[in-house]
Amino acid sequence: MDILYMLIPLSVVLGLVVLVGLWWAINQGQFDDIEEEGQRILEEDK
Amino acid sequence: MLSQASHQDKIPTSLLQEQTTGHDHVWRILDTEAQWSGFSQKITTADNTALVESHFLLSGLRCAACAGIIEAGLQKLVGIEKVRVSMSKNRAVITWSPTETKPSSILQAIHDLGYEGNPASHLADQTVIAAKKRAAFWRWMVAGFCMMQVMMYSAPSYFASSGQISSDMYSLLNWASWLMSLPVLLFSSSTFFSNAFQDLKHQRISMDLPVALGILITFIVSSAATFDPSGLWGETVYFDTMTMLVFFLLSARFIEVRMHSKTMGALEALMNRIPESTLKLNVDGSFSRVLNKQLAINDIVKVNIGEAFPADGKIIEGETQVDESLLTGESTPINKHLDDNIVAGSYNLGQSVNVMVEGLGDATQYGKIVNLINQASIEKPRLSRLVDRLAKPFLLFVLMSAGLAAALLWNGDHGHALMTAAAVLIVTCPCAISLATPAAMLASASAFVKRGILIKNLQAIENIADIDTVIFDKTGTLTNDDIQVTHIKPERALTEAQVLSLAASLAKHSTHPISRAIVGKSQLAVLGHTEVALVAIKEQVGLGVQGQLNANNLLRKTIVGQIKLGSALFCETSVTDETSHQVYLADELGLLATFTLQEQLKPLAHETISTIKNNQYSVELISGDQAHTVNNIANTLGISHFLAACNPQDKLARLNVLKQKGKKVLMIGDGLNDGPILASAHVSIAMGKGVPLTHAHADYILLNGDISQIPTLIAQAKKTMQIIKQNISWAIIYNVICIPLAFFGMISAWQAGLGMALSSLFVVFNALRLSRFNAVNQLAGSQG
Repeated sequence: MDILYMLIPLSVVLGLVVLVGLWWAINQGQFDDIEEEGQRILEEDK
Repeated sequence: MLSQASHQDKIPTSLLQEQTTGHDHVWRILDTEAQWSGFSQKITTADNTALVESHFLLSGLRCAACAGIIEAGLQKLVGIEKVRVSMSKNRAVITWSPTETKPSSILQAIHDLGYEGNPASHLADQTVIAAKKRAAFWRWMVAGFCMMQVMMYSAPSYFASSGQISSDMYSLLNWASWLMSLPVLLFSSSTFFSNAFQDLKHQRISMDLPVALGILITFIVSSAATFDPSGLWGETVYFDTMTMLVFFLLSARFIEVRMHSKTMGALEALMNRIPESTLKLNVDGSFSRVLNKQLAINDIVKVNIGEAFPADGKIIEGETQVDESLLTGESTPINKHLDDNIVAGSYNLGQSVNVMVEGLGDATQYGKIVNLINQASIEKPRLSRLVDRLAKPFLLFVLMSAGLAAALLWNGDHGHALMTAAAVLIVTCPCAISLATPAAMLASASAFVKRGILIKNLQAIENIADIDTVIFDKTGTLTNDDIQVTHIKPERALTEAQVLSLAASLAKHSTHPISRAIVGKSQLAVLGHTEVALVAIKEQVGLGVQGQLNANNLLRKTIVGQIKLGSALFCETSVTDETSHQVYLADELGLLATFTLQEQLKPLAHETISTIKNNQYSVELISGDQAHTVNNIANTLGISHFLAACNPQDKLARLNVLKQKGKKVLMIGDGLNDGPILASAHVSIAMGKGVPLTHAHADYILLNGDISQIPTLIAQAKKTMQIIKQNISWAIIYNVICIPLAFFGMISAWQAGLGMALSSLFVVFNALRLSRFNAVNQLAGSQG
C-alpha cells in the first residue's frame, strides 16, 4: 500500500490541474451557453 | 483612431450599399466610434489587427435555423470576421474590422436577410452580468469538484476501525483534504462571507451569518487538527462536511438564479425596443438626429414608420397607426390623430408623425416597466424570510451554548474548554436549517414551470400560502376575450335558423365584436347557414347595420323594408331585458328577433371558483365592465361580492379597504388597468396572454391562462410551506439532540459528520417530494 503515498499527492496535483483547466474554460466562455452549442451540429454545414 | 471620412472611403461596394431603405439613415448615426463604443468593445487579435466586437439584439428569429441564416449571411460580407447568433438570447455577437465595414452596413445586412437588428445598449451592464454569471458558475463548479475530491480522501475514515489506518497515512489524507478545501474556502464561500459582512455592517442578521461562521470555524478547527494532531483542537477533521455544505447551498442558489433569468430573458427584447437616437426639430425648422439622452420636454421629434416612439408625447402633426401591444397586449394597430397621446416604446406603423415630447426616460410608462424588470433581475436571491427570521435566535442559541460550554469547563483544562466550544459550534452547523427553505421552494418552482406557471421570485410561494381573499378580474381572466350568442328569440313566424342567417348576412359587413359573434354563431349553427342576399348595406358606427332584401327573396312576404341589426335605439324597439346584453333584428313593422349575448366563461371557471370557495377563501370579482355583464358572470359563478365599472383607482381603493381589514389578497388579472392592483396585492397572478406591464408587476404568470391551475397552485404552496416547516423542525430537533452530546463529549467526530450529512440529505429528499405535483380539488393545507 506504499504506493498510496505517491498516489494521494498525485491526485491532489491532478485535482489542482483540473481546477486551473476549469478556470481557463469558464473564462473562455465555454459554459456561457450550454444548450445552443449542442444544437449547432443539427444545422447545415456552412 | 480612424476618422469618420476614412471609414466611408473603405466601404466595400457590396450589393447592400445600393439598397437604401428607410432604416439606413437611422443607423448611419451609429457609424462614429463615439456611438458604436456604446455597444461594442475593441479587441486585438494575435496578428495585431484591431477588431471590434459588437452586440446586437435581434428580432424575428423563429427557430435555430434562423440563427444559421444570419450567421451564414453575415459571414459573406467584407470586413466581418466572426458571427455568433444565440437563438435563446436573441442576440448576435459580431466581430468586425472598423477599417472595412461599419455598423450601419451590418444592420442593413441583417435587415436584408429579413430580420431586425438593434444595438444592444447597456453593454456595460451586460458585461457585468456575464462576468457575474461566470463567477457564480466557477464558484459552484469549484465547490462541486472539491467536494467530491475531499469526500474521496475522507471515505477511508468512515469505514476503517481505529488503528487500521496508519497515522502517517491519516495525516496525508488530511493534508490532501486541506488542500482541496482551500479553493472552496477562498473562491466558493466568498458569497457567504460578503453577504454576512454586509449584514453585519447594516446591523441585521440573516442566515448567511451562521453559515459563514460555521464554514469558518469548521475550517479553522479542521486545519488545526491537520497541522497539529496532538494539539488543543484534537485530531478530527471536518473538511467533508464543510465542502458539502457549501456545494449544496451554492447549487440551490445557482438553480434559482437560472430559473429567474429564464423568466426575465423573455422580457429583454422589450427593454431594448427604443432606438438610441431620434430626429429632433431644430429652431430653424430642420431636423437633426440626436441621442435620446439629449431630448427634453417640449422638444418636437419626428418618428418614422417602423420606429419606436422614444418618449411619451402628443401628436402635433400627421396621423398614423401605432402598435401599443406593450401596454395593451393587443397587437391590432390603433389609430392616432392630432393631439392623441403617444406612449414611449410603442411602434409607429402608419406614416411619419411629429410628436411633442411630454415625458422622458424613467417618467414614462415604458421606463417604469423597464425599471421594474431591472429591479427584479438584480434582486439578490436570498434565503427565505422565514429562515432569516430564524437566523437570529439560532445564532444566539449556538453562540450561547458554545460560550456556556467554554465557561463551564474553563476552570479545568483551558484547551479542553475551547475544544468543547468548537465542537458545539461544529455540530450545530446550519446545513439543514439553511437548506430547508431553498430546497423545498426550488422543488416546487420547478414543478410549477412544468405546468406552465412561471414564478418571479421564490418569496411568492410563501406569500400565496397565507392568503385569505381572492380577487378576480373578469375579461381575459374568468372569461375569454370574445363574446358569444347564447340565446336567439325569433318573432312572428320566423325560425331561429332564418333570423340567424339574416342577421349573419348583415353582420358580416361589420367588424364590431358583436357582429363577429353573430357571424361565428351562424357558422357553427347545426341548423345550417344560408346566405341571404342583401342590398344597400350601411353600417352606422356604434349603433348597428342595416340593409334590404333582394327583390326576389321569398322572405319578402314576412319582412318589409329596411332590416336593421343593432341596439334597441337603432331598431326602434323597447328594451325587453335590462339585465343582459342584447341586440335586436327588426324591420319596418317591428321586431324580428332578439339575440342575447354573453361573454364565454373559460373552461373550468365554475370548478375553479367553487374549489376556492369550498376552501374558505372569500372570492370577489372586480371589473371595469358594465354592471349587468358583471352581475351575470358573478351570478353564474356564484360570486356574491362584485364591483362593476371600476377604473384602476377604484380597484386599488377596494384592495386598500381589504388590506385595512387585515386581509391578505391574491389578485388575478390580465389587463393594463390591473397593473397597480397586481403590484400592491399581497401576491398576484397574471395571465400569459396579458400585457408586459402586467407581467412585470405580477408574482406568477400563468402561461396558458388556465385558471383551473390556481387551486392547485395554492395547495402546492401550502404543501411547500408544510415541508419547509417539517425541514426546519427536523433541523432544530437535530441540533437540540446534538448540542448536549457535543457538550459532554459523547459524540465522536465521524458521528457528528454523519449526522450532519444525513440531516442535510433528509431535508433535500423531503423537499424532492414536492416535485411530484398532482392536480387537487381540495387544498391540502387547509385541513391541517
